[in-house]
Amino acid sequence: MKPRLPAVRPPVFKGRLHDARTATSIGRLLGVAIAICFGTGLISHYLQHPPGWLADYLPSRPSWGYRLTQGLHVASGIAAIPLLLAKLWTVYPRLFAWPPVRSVRHALERLSVAVLVAGAVFELLTGLLNTVQWYPWPFSFVPVHFAVAWLLAGALTLHVAVKYPDIKEHWSRKSPGTPALPAADGPDRRSFLTGVTAAVGAVTLTTVGQSFTPLKTFDVLAPRHPDHGPQSLPVNKTAAAAGVGQVDPAAYLLTVDGPRPYTLTLAELSAITQHASVLPIACVEGWSKSARWTGVRMTDLLRRAGAPPDARVRVTSLEKYGSYRVMEMGREYAHDPLTLLALTLNGQPLTPDHGYPARIIAPNRPGVLQTKWVTRLEVL
Amino acid sequence: MRTVVGAAGLALMAFGALMVWDQSTHWDVLIWLAGAVVLHDGVIAPLVVGVGFLVGGLKYRGLVRGALLAAGCLTLVALPVLLRPLPTANSSVLPLDYVRGLLISLAAVAVLAVLLGAGRWAWGRVGRADDPESR
Ligand code: HEM
Repeated sequence: MKPRLPAVRPPVFKGRLHDARTATSIGRLLGVAIAICFGTGLISHYLQHPPGWLADYLPSRPSWGYRLTQGLHVASGIAAIPLLLAKLWTVYPRLFAWPPVRSVRHALERLSVAVLVAGAVFELLTGLLNTVQWYPWPFSFVPVHFAVAWLLAGALTLHVAVKYPDIKEHWSRKSPGTPALPAADGPDRRSFLTGVTAAVGAVTLTTVGQSFTPLKTFDVLAPRHPDHGPQSLPVNKTAAAAGVGQVDPAAYLLTVDGPRPYTLTLAELSAITQHASVLPIACVEGWSKSARWTGVRMTDLLRRAGAPPDARVRVTSLEKYGSYRVMEMGREYAHDPLTLLALTLNGQPLTPDHGYPARIIAPNRPGVLQTKWVTRLEVL
Repeated sequence: MRTVVGAAGLALMAFGALMVWDQSTHWDVLIWLAGAVVLHDGVIAPLVVGVGFLVGGLKYRGLVRGALLAAGCLTLVALPVLLRPLPTANSSVLPLDYVRGLLISLAAVAVLAVLLGAGRWAWGRVGRADDPESR
């Protein structure tokens, strides 16, 4: 007789809704949320780090474009949390598939599923912590979040291809596979989906006001609130953090380099024709708020320096440290009439935290590129 | 077609993996990726399955499940704003009283669930009173 080892058995799941119809119904919502995250994430990445050939073609319109895409990025990431949990609950029994590995192919398939789950949880977790400016990990957030996004997008694409027969069998209530499931599960599944929808609604309602300002009353859990910040506008980097402090208006000088270089004192800058733009600050972290800015048009400053009509600009800040001290602006932004070297915010001079005495405000750009405490412009 | 999509997926994965590998900290990233799975499969999922087991037999199962889902997800989303070490870099980051925010949200979920449950119960009684069979 063969000696028998004590059996280690995987748990048995007798509960309902661990079926392919539920996996499909929730999976496609999750798929849409992840796809929105990926698409808007790419937009954000290339607006911030365009390859050289692209920089001049980045559009400056619509002026609310980045506000919308990055607001969606963070909102769909938050909405994906209940969806991911519901999805993984539904398929949890499959983690204990017995035998764990049947063939090389099966092993590879399980590996790809592991990558999918790891990527999804990792992206949502790191993204959420980034919005509260909390970085408890030993790697840098931006390149890793970007790299794992591709890994996740690939694993998701592969997953849909692998599960395609199951998905097709259960796509709708009338698809061939669905009626084969226990009929009593139908109402229960609908009630589960309603519950998941309610959870998505709850986390969205309590956070989305940080960018969709009409809902700001309900913003009780987001890391930002549109009404909290100097001059009622949140800031990402304070003057103290940038090592700038209070700039002495008498000592301030703007240098403009180009074919006809010149310098301006603050008084001279204020004496040039001032224009108003209503433009949002839209942060990579997902919050945004519109404001009314006045200042000198970038095009006017460039023309005065003898810049050609397709010139780019390099902008340098007084800030002492930080990777955004020097910023470049492609042709479309530099020549958009809405782009200002702004001196006031909602009718008041800028406070130090908003970039006193002068800051950039341009349409359709991430907030980190709206350089504050500007001291130098260079025509490129 | 299916093969093409699958191959495209593999290609994207390879691209992502290469970019992860390009990081000088790739081992740390791998540890965090594995940690994400362990966190989910080892901690969150058993908890949820356990709660599901307890709730499974209740009369208003669907309603209780929905309320617990909403409450659980609200709590999860609130964890970073509640647990992030202070102070933040500036006063416009985490400006709100988040304990209060979470309690209000949870209370709203509870009130809604109770109202819905009461509505259903009342509706069920009216339904039965109208039903000649039940007299
Ligand atoms: C980030 C997104 C997603 C994640 C993390 C995810 C995760 C998973 C996991 C872990 C499994 C179990 C796989 C196994 O052990 O064989 C699974 C199964 C499945 N998924 Fe997804 N999934 C996602 C998106 C989708 C999408 C977009 C769809 C379809 C529209 C989908 C449909 C399915 C189906 C039909 C199954 C099989 C369920 C069964 O046979 O019981 N999933 N998913």
